[in-house]
Amino acid sequence: MGASLPPKEANLFKLIVKSYETKQYKKGLKAADAILKKFPDHGETLSMKGLTLNCMDRKTEAYELVRLGVKNDIKSHVCWHVLGLLYRSDREYREAIKCYRNALRIDPDNLEILRDLSLLQAQMRDLSGFVETRQQLLTLKPNHRMNWIGFAVSQHLNANASKAVEILEAYEGTLEDDYPPENELIEHTEMILYKVSLLEESGSFDKALEELHKKEPKIVDKLSYKEQEVSLLSKVGRLEEANKLYRILLSMNPDNYRYYEGLQKCLELYSKSGQYSSDQIEKLNALYQSLSEQYTRSSAVKRIPLDFLQDENFKEAVANYIKPLLTKGVPSLFSDLSSLYDHPRKPEILEQLVVEMEHSIKNTGSYPGSDVKEPPSTLLWTLFFLAQHYDRRGQYDVALFKIDEAIAHTPTVIDLYSVKSRIMKHAGDLTAAAALADEARGMDLADRYINSECVKRMLQADQVPLAEKTAVLFTKEGDQLNNLHDMQCMWYDLASGDSYFRQGDLGRALKKFLAVEKHYADISEDQFDFHSYCLRKMTLRSYVDMLKFQDRLHSFPYFHKAATRAIRCYLKLHDAPKTTAEEDGMSKLAPAQKKKIKKQKKAEARAKKEAESKSEESTATGASKSGKRNVKPVDPDPHGQKLIQVEDPMAEASKYLRLLQKHSPNSLDTHLLSFEVNMRKQKFLLAFQAVKQLLKLDAENPDSHRSLVKFFLKTGSTSAPTTEAEKLRWSVLEAERPSISQLQSKSLMEANKEFLDRHEDSLVHRAAYAEMLYVLDPSKKTEAIKIIEDSTNKVVQTNGALGPAREWKLKDCIAVHNLLDTVLLDSEAASRWKSRCAEYFPCSTHFEGKLSSVMPDSVYNSSRKSNENGDTPNHPLGQTGLSDGQVEAFKSLSVST
Amino acid sequence: MVCIRRATVDDLLAMQACNLMCLPENYQMKYYLYHILSWPQLLYVAEDYNGRIVGYVLAKMEEESNECHGHITSLAVLRTHRKLGLATKLMTAAQAAMEQVYEAEYVSLHVRRSNRAAFNLYTETLGYQIHDVEAKYYADGEDAYDMRKHLKGKQSHHHGHGHHHHHGGGCCSGDAKVVETAHAADAKATVSK
Repeated sequence: MGASLPPKEANLFKLIVKSYETKQYKKGLKAADAILKKFPDHGETLSMKGLTLNCMDRKTEAYELVRLGVKNDIKSHVCWHVLGLLYRSDREYREAIKCYRNALRIDPDNLEILRDLSLLQAQMRDLSGFVETRQQLLTLKPNHRMNWIGFAVSQHLNANASKAVEILEAYEGTLEDDYPPENELIEHTEMILYKVSLLEESGSFDKALEELHKKEPKIVDKLSYKEQEVSLLSKVGRLEEANKLYRILLSMNPDNYRYYEGLQKCLELYSKSGQYSSDQIEKLNALYQSLSEQYTRSSAVKRIPLDFLQDENFKEAVANYIKPLLTKGVPSLFSDLSSLYDHPRKPEILEQLVVEMEHSIKNTGSYPGSDVKEPPSTLLWTLFFLAQHYDRRGQYDVALFKIDEAIAHTPTVIDLYSVKSRIMKHAGDLTAAAALADEARGMDLADRYINSECVKRMLQADQVPLAEKTAVLFTKEGDQLNNLHDMQCMWYDLASGDSYFRQGDLGRALKKFLAVEKHYADISEDQFDFHSYCLRKMTLRSYVDMLKFQDRLHSFPYFHKAATRAIRCYLKLHDAPKTTAEEDGMSKLAPAQKKKIKKQKKAEARAKKEAESKSEESTATGASKSGKRNVKPVDPDPHGQKLIQVEDPMAEASKYLRLLQKHSPNSLDTHLLSFEVNMRKQKFLLAFQAVKQLLKLDAENPDSHRSLVKFFLKTGSTSAPTTEAEKLRWSVLEAERPSISQLQSKSLMEANKEFLDRHEDSLVHRAAYAEMLYVLDPSKKTEAIKIIEDSTNKVVQTNGALGPAREWKLKDCIAVHNLLDTVLLDSEAASRWKSRCAEYFPCSTHFEGKLSSVMPDSVYNSSRKSNENGDTPNHPLGQTGLSDGQVEAFKSLSVST
Repeated sequence: MVCIRRATVDDLLAMQACNLMCLPENYQMKYYLYHILSWPQLLYVAEDYNGRIVGYVLAKMEEESNECHGHITSLAVLRTHRKLGLATKLMTAAQAAMEQVYEAEYVSLHVRRSNRAAFNLYTETLGYQIHDVEAKYYADGEDAYDMRKHLKGKQSHHHGHGHHHHHGGGCCSGDAKVVETAHAADAKATVSK
């Protein structure tokens, strides 16, 4: 480095490098300028100066200098390496890899560049390249532990676990017998456990077990040791030993459910579906009986049997489980038992049981059949449980009655208001729900959880400014909303994006949804530093887990939600293109004039962009001069106005769609959106793929059915094919159509009718049938509406005085209302539907039910207490717009045929 | 009711979400990654019966002092899941790992002066003592108690050697680069307190 310079300048060059490494950029800059004074064309100095400026946020200059450096000294590996580093700092990894490769062509054995290259290869998952580079590093420097480990890991990642084992064994061969020294016990432990996991992964269970036992004295992480051992023992079928070991693990931590599952597997008493024969149930019961005697303090041994026990046994066990928890006042009891509600009979048993307890406590002060007096709070928590029970059953009136009784019993318990807020939300009054959550919040201003819950409710009720003010109470730096963003608070981004979407502000909505996408990009970026870190730290099992996690990152729920919502925004943008006055004017102009104007505009845009980048530059330099780095750049588009100006919304949508297709292939949403996007793009074969996926995932889903009908209606109605491409498409569809069982030698009308016949009792299916009937033949509108109006809301169960529970869900009824109103365009039918549903859902603001907060004498308006201890102003209720049901606006998007 | 187990990388997003729901001190994902990729034994989660993460403890080993010691970076349990002893169980598990794997001499943590519930948990249930008060530790100007608990029953890894020593540095040898970036995250997090 710095070759071809005289000694004085060569020393200065070394100083630049050193200053760069120690982050003394000003010093480095000075040295660089001193060299350049004498040798203004010196390539490596120009490059290093550029690299230094890059760290001072002077990007444009940095790239100019570094590129000039390469140009002046194209044979220098330093110049290429530096250009690579510049690209790397901007996350342009592919470009960076190219530069490193150029550098290595000049200096093939340069360790530093090889190492940098290997990191990029790991980051980009260029696994065969990674193996190659790591092998080269090991060959060049076999006395470094890191190079052995790196080579092994590269082989592992490249799907060659057994090769990785061989490499680790070769490395171990270089170690002394008394290895490791005291200060490397943990690293060595990690390496052994990594090796064992590799053996396990490659299917050599016996060998893995043998290795584990042999190295036992050197493993300091005893818990990992035991967990690994028990997993291997189970895999090789040494179930007796595994059984014993699980019991040891349970004695260490009787709250780890995975140990119970493992133990059941050892005893061949495990079924993933949770279905057991009566013989198995008996054995399981005996097992948990004995375990509960051993681990008296564990709640797991009492909770797990509730899953497999039936009828009378269940009733007895669940009663014994519930009672002490009600006495103690455990707020999460209902949520703990909520999975039992999927069972056909258990909810009834629970209801009967807890109602009996309620009566008994009210009458005698004790549980049924007991003399022990319960404290007054037991009744409170019993009512609390019942309120959630009825909420879950959809009997919102009873639920509200119970929770109000509980509040009257003890008005100071915050949880009661949170639950009441949730009931109001389910019952369809989001404004009241938000107000109740705010009341809860006011009862303990220091608790962020109830603050967060309140913010969530406010966003659901489309009270965005109020929600922001409330959230800011816990983000103490001046710019607190930005803090939510900086801290990657994704639920907030999603919830506020949803609210903007409902309110028709697509710019802000997109901004929020894309923010989530940005968080995921940042998390993906986060792995970079760990490629080298973990090789040194030896936390290889976690490292490999982390890489796998990163590979699946986009399948996690927040991303899925953000991507589907962003695509829906783009669909809306596509369907309602912006028609500004300007554009209207444009259409009247002659083509030549149009061209001229467009050209002019382009030039303006370019000038603007340049000006912007200049000002960016100047703020950046200003910042570095004042010594303050990390100054937050000002968001040039805080309201997403630029986002909605996008030229081709469907192209943007397709970007996110591809990620969904790759990472959420089993989600109905993915393929519904693919259908919508591709129909709009007239990519009929891709739309057809989506239809096939929908049918495969859930052929009876109303939306799958809608897509099927719409697709064949659209493609069948286009005129005879003329172009080659159309002919090809035609023939593909002709060949595929018989494979769709719903359509075999049937017309779309017939297929639609059969769909109805299969689901005559279901509201959502009837609605889908009616909609398609109308789409297929608009003259059948009256018939379609009749089908909907003839639907009956069956009573699912009756429980005496408490009123019936009915089948229909609020959100489905709202969807049907919107269908009548906006698709079938019959306002009278919509209004009839509305009054009918207002009876079923008296709290619903959408249907203006008599108890909803939009009505003057609503439950909410008459029972609301003033909330004076909150920091945020009370908002006038009933003045905020109706918002529930606008969620359905998402669903109203459809292909215009 | 609630499963207590070591956290995996797959739990980190849910841990971050749990933290953001409950606590005013928040961290970017990289800081969670830094913890699990440095001390994978020291992260525990509480997972409810529906598979939801309702609590966690995020802990680390400190290298600054001569004594190798653990530090609780963050502990949270959803308000809806209190009264189950989850915080105690999570803390006990992390402390045990510090002691057994890293031979930590003691474990430290910071708690807001005003947070009586947490303070009581640490002093009465878990046996922590006030070591110091750090004035204006939190971004809003509140003081922190610097609390410590000595870990007893420290065992030597080399049972046969007959002398009692701990492997200083083993738990703490870090990589300058990541530690630096993570410290940046830490600093940021601290600022946000």
